[in-house]
Amino acid sequence: MSKSLKDVIPVGHIYIKDNILEKDSLAGVSESKALWAKDLNLPKKAEYTFFAACGYQHMKYVEGMMGALKSASKMGMGMGKVVGISKAFGKVGVDLTGITAKITASKDDPYTPVLISAISVLRKLGLDVGYLHEEEPCCGSPMYYAGFEDDYAEHSRKNYEIFESFGVKKLIGLVPACTASLRDYYPKYIEGYDLEVQHVLEVVVQKLKKTGVKPKVKENVKVTYHDPCQLSRYLELTDEPREILKSIEGIELADLDPEQCGKWSTCCGGGGLEATHPELAERVGVRRVEELLETGASVIVSNCPACEMQLTKVTKKLNANVKVIDLVRLLDESLE
Amino acid sequence: MSNSELAELAKEITDNVQRCWKCRMCVEMCPTYEGWFTQSTAGRLMAINLYIKHGLGSEEDLSNMLYSCTTCRRCQERCRILSTDCSPADTILKARQYLVRKAELKGERNHEQIP
Ligand code: SF4
Ligand code: SF4
Repeated sequence: MSKSLKDVIPVGHIYIKDNILEKDSLAGVSESKALWAKDLNLPKKAEYTFFAACGYQHMKYVEGMMGALKSASKMGMGMGKVVGISKAFGKVGVDLTGITAKITASKDDPYTPVLISAISVLRKLGLDVGYLHEEEPCCGSPMYYAGFEDDYAEHSRKNYEIFESFGVKKLIGLVPACTASLRDYYPKYIEGYDLEVQHVLEVVVQKLKKTGVKPKVKENVKVTYHDPCQLSRYLELTDEPREILKSIEGIELADLDPEQCGKWSTCCGGGGLEATHPELAERVGVRRVEELLETGASVIVSNCPACEMQLTKVTKKLNANVKVIDLVRLLDESLE
Repeated sequence: MSNSELAELAKEITDNVQRCWKCRMCVEMCPTYEGWFTQSTAGRLMAINLYIKHGLGSEEDLSNMLYSCTTCRRCQERCRILSTDCSPADTILKARQYLVRKAELKGERNHEQIP
């Protein structure tokens, strides 16, 4: 006999889906998503519309959320077996709403500055960029990956109406998964979808070439690059980040073996896996970080909030003497 | 979603699995693989097929196998080069949709509250 939803679908995914449908935010916090932009004077209407997504803005909450889900899974179930977690919640009397109320922002928030850097970089390169502020919807992609295709399709159509109502024509995405969702999945569910979607790295590479700007870091540094799966195998952007890194004076790129980077890069285990299989996610992360450390680089550059959260956590756990930095932040610091 | 639509999705999934050569080139490169076949791409495909086609294996175990995939598509890249065209990562995703739809068909959906 067929089981009900919460018996077969990991509760972490159901929880995230409900957050998106009810609060239009991955982490389900009602704090404005647009706070980061309050001093930036970003118009709602411009040639390009920046899509900030939940990722960086609410990441400080996601860390708390993952922690809550992890401890809840530990309470109820054995190692890695988190599927029946909702039953366990029932048994030990855990109240998910209570957990949500306890989710607080971590004081140390390296994520929002990435959004500010993205705008700063685009402006330094002469682009006219806007942002929908409070009106920007969550793209809904976590629902897609959790298997809630119908909810995602419906959500995408609602979002398209929002974009249309603001006259959006060209979107620039920053979070790889959300950008892939807007570029590659929305057209499958929306008739006549006509938004031009680009990832910020594509735009940056074109502009760097056109303007001949030469970025430069203050101190020479050896970095390695971790390709986020969503960027390398979904958006298929593996040359762009490397071109950008190589264009920065003072940066030495120590890339991994070809079978561990670019389109063959190993997954770091960040993202959805953490909500359902935290121990496995950690082991996957350790294996990836060990690969990255072999390059001898002192900085791991990446550009995905999920990867950065995971890599930061794992490098700390391993006491590795290495920093994790977002490519966009690095670029912002290297541009006049 | 009706029963016939669910059957259509099931067919699409099992057709994909049918195209798998079982060459296992995807196994070692799957980031969640730690020695057990069921933790790998090809293992997941096999479990999907057994469950959807023959009703074998428990729904909970299948769910655990499907949701322990990071959807990183590393397997799919390898498989694409071998040109078997079975899109393993997308097939795993579709199998998740199958589980969701099957559960939703049960009509539990609107009363669903967690916990
Ligand atoms: S690489 Fe493709 S064809 Fe080979 S076992 Fe894996 S899924 Fe099957
Ligand atoms: S997509 Fe899933 S099955 Fe394929 S390599 Fe990644 S984790 Fe393994």
